[in-house]
Amino acid sequence: MNSKKQSPLKRLLGIRGMGAALTAFVGLIIIYAAFGLINSAVFSGQNISNLLRSMSKYLLIGIAQSYVLITGNIDLSIGSMVGMSAMIAATLMTRGVSPVIAIVVALASCIVVGVINGYLVGKFKLPPFIATLGTMFVTRGIAYMVNSNRNTDAIATGIGKEAGDSFQNFFYYGTTLGIYNTFWIAMIMFVIFFFLLSKTRTGRHIYAIGSNIDAAKLSGVNVVATTTKAYLVSAVCSCMVGLILCAQASMGNMEAGNMYEMYGVAAGVIGGVSPLGGTGILLGTLAGAAVWQTLENGLNMIGAQVGIQRVVIGIIVVAAVLLDVVIRNGEFGKKKAK
Amino acid sequence: MNEVIVSMKDICKSFPGVKALDHVNFELRSGEVMALLGENGAGKSTLMKVLSGVYTRDSGTMEIFGKEYGDLTPKQAQEAGVAIIHQELNMCRHLSVTENMFLGREVSGRLALDNARMEEEAGAILQDLRIDIDPRQTVGDLPVSKQQMVEIAKALSINARILIMDEPTSALTSKEIDDLFRIIHKLKAEGRGIVYISHRLEELQHIVDRVTIMRDGQYITDMHFKDATMDQIIAHMVGREIKEKFPRVTCEKGKKIFEVRNLNAGKLVRDINFSVYAGEIVGFAGLMGAGRTETTRAIFGVDARESGEIFVDGKEVNINNPMDAIRNGVVLAPEDRKKDGLCTKLSIRHNLALPNLDLICNKLGVVNSQKEQDLCDKAVQDLRIKTPDVEVDSGNLSGGNQQKVVVGKWLARDSRVVIFDEPTRGIDVGAKVEIYHLMNELKKQGIAVMFVSSEMPEVMGIADRIIVMCDGRITGEVMAEDTTQNEILTLATSFENKNIGSN
Repeated sequence: MNSKKQSPLKRLLGIRGMGAALTAFVGLIIIYAAFGLINSAVFSGQNISNLLRSMSKYLLIGIAQSYVLITGNIDLSIGSMVGMSAMIAATLMTRGVSPVIAIVVALASCIVVGVINGYLVGKFKLPPFIATLGTMFVTRGIAYMVNSNRNTDAIATGIGKEAGDSFQNFFYYGTTLGIYNTFWIAMIMFVIFFFLLSKTRTGRHIYAIGSNIDAAKLSGVNVVATTTKAYLVSAVCSCMVGLILCAQASMGNMEAGNMYEMYGVAAGVIGGVSPLGGTGILLGTLAGAAVWQTLENGLNMIGAQVGIQRVVIGIIVVAAVLLDVVIRNGEFGKKKAK
Repeated sequence: MNEVIVSMKDICKSFPGVKALDHVNFELRSGEVMALLGENGAGKSTLMKVLSGVYTRDSGTMEIFGKEYGDLTPKQAQEAGVAIIHQELNMCRHLSVTENMFLGREVSGRLALDNARMEEEAGAILQDLRIDIDPRQTVGDLPVSKQQMVEIAKALSINARILIMDEPTSALTSKEIDDLFRIIHKLKAEGRGIVYISHRLEELQHIVDRVTIMRDGQYITDMHFKDATMDQIIAHMVGREIKEKFPRVTCEKGKKIFEVRNLNAGKLVRDINFSVYAGEIVGFAGLMGAGRTETTRAIFGVDARESGEIFVDGKEVNINNPMDAIRNGVVLAPEDRKKDGLCTKLSIRHNLALPNLDLICNKLGVVNSQKEQDLCDKAVQDLRIKTPDVEVDSGNLSGGNQQKVVVGKWLARDSRVVIFDEPTRGIDVGAKVEIYHLMNELKKQGIAVMFVSSEMPEVMGIADRIIVMCDGRITGEVMAEDTTQNEILTLATSFENKNIGSN
């Protein structure tokens, strides 16, 4: 009732989902400092730049999956959309189509997948795991078919070196104000989708159907439209990552984005997005993506093998959720419903 | 008659805030059918859950077949021969009849399960009951009546001597009820004791030997059925003094605001016709499963309608989903707040704002936080929602405050028709009175108020006019001032002749 009198810090902590997000940020700082103490190169300006750039992909994937997770669903087709977007854009450019049109076509294709996902889950009430498993296979199949089951040649072979370079610079190699463009793209999308989720009607509806779909429906929420919007956000972010991967490799790789849907789940969950729906904020997803990337980067810098990297990341995901459960319930299984 | 097989004395059971059973006595003899009667919430189900070990009694003594049990566990109850046939059937729908009957006590052969033997035994029991069911059939494919028979067969297969049937006929057709009664007679003849819980007083005469009546968690009386008249039984069931206060305001009855014509939607909404005028609260009374909630859902566009027209302020409105209803000024505070009313993981603020986002968002759909804050402050103040902050998870509020949030969601709008479905269920007296005041306030503003409630005194105390439903139909309409609980209960139990003649 007297919320206006609270101190700014208390207000900040009062925001739903902020606790988990801040915990992830604290974890991030500890992890980063720990790696830095082992190998001071972790703190170097070049490494920070690289870190921000590689984190950007995971952030976008994290946003994609978080939107869908908050509605209480899941999107398994994210990685396939990344691959399809990369393949479509690259194939068109190797045929001499201008980058802008290539981007538009890739985006439109992903949007179609997003709408199909939204309707299968929202309208036809298919279990999201099954619906998006199906679109995952179909979309990956399309990624293969686009260039007749082959990876593409270098995009510069079609649109010329100059146009190829500018495409690659825009999405990956170029910098603005000393920071890689990839990071700026991710940040702009982060701000837009953060605003959409926390400040708009659509955002409220997304939380509502994730928390209690029956109550949301009885409050006049259009479940089909809202579910579709969440899957659309997922599709748009996935498309963007596909373009980034295409620019990075300067070609289309049919396997691009493999397993990314699960990286998205990991980034969201580390940051406090519940796979059961209704809880989590994108600030948490940002922290989750950063934790993920810092781990990968740090383990690389101290010379850890890929195997051990996977083991550590797996443990972190489980530990983050376990920590959340422990914080919420006091102690392991102590809280008995009475 | 025969010897006493169950004897419960001075049984007490409390839940937080409620005394569900208050020194209740209960006796069952072998070879008899005992009807356990009482209004919703009288404690019948609680008592039977104590008898079957689901709940542990707080105090009192309990003997089954002469053996005294202290803290009875469900397993002990089962071994003592007690079985419940639940209102909602407890079957694994994907398993076969045999698998269900032998669940948890499967018969093994040398290597694997001995299916042949189990099927044979299951078949024998079904045949003995003269039930025509293939033991290999999947339970989910059977009609409800047959599923119920399987439950009875399951109870017999573990040699249950005491069968508790909770509203067994609520989902059955008259032919199926005849079958059920035939089986009950057979079980009785075998010397088993049967406890029969039902709201359908008419059907008692076909099977019941004695009745035990409960009210407000207390034992009232027991008697031989043939010595009692229906009026006596009803009087015992409802004869409570009204303890709660019902603030009533009188208003001039204005013009017709809301009208429903020939509404049909499924089995429980048949030919519903009624109107609500400005300045009145129309109560909807009836027993559980009478179709009142289904009627509100059909009006609000949650469930599909087969036919029917809805008029608001004399104009026909087309409602196909809750969005349409809200847009046309019809709102519903639903019955089950945890399931339909609240997003429990979200804050009070998010819940209050959810149906009103069209009012507090700009054209781009961005929430105006000042307007939202004002809306929340007003709701918290008007309804006296007790919370330190609107950022609290609505799931952490007490039942009464949760209900206030559910109601508060709808008050920011200029609605024409407000439907309350069981708004006071499970909340304390103080919160109830606040909800009544709120309904009165709406009534004074000339808003049409529909008030569904299973609490008879409350409907009579708050509503001006009462529509009674039974079995999906409106069976009567009375003025609250000049009616009696008996009259309403009679209307609420006037089933169409479903259950004529079993013996």
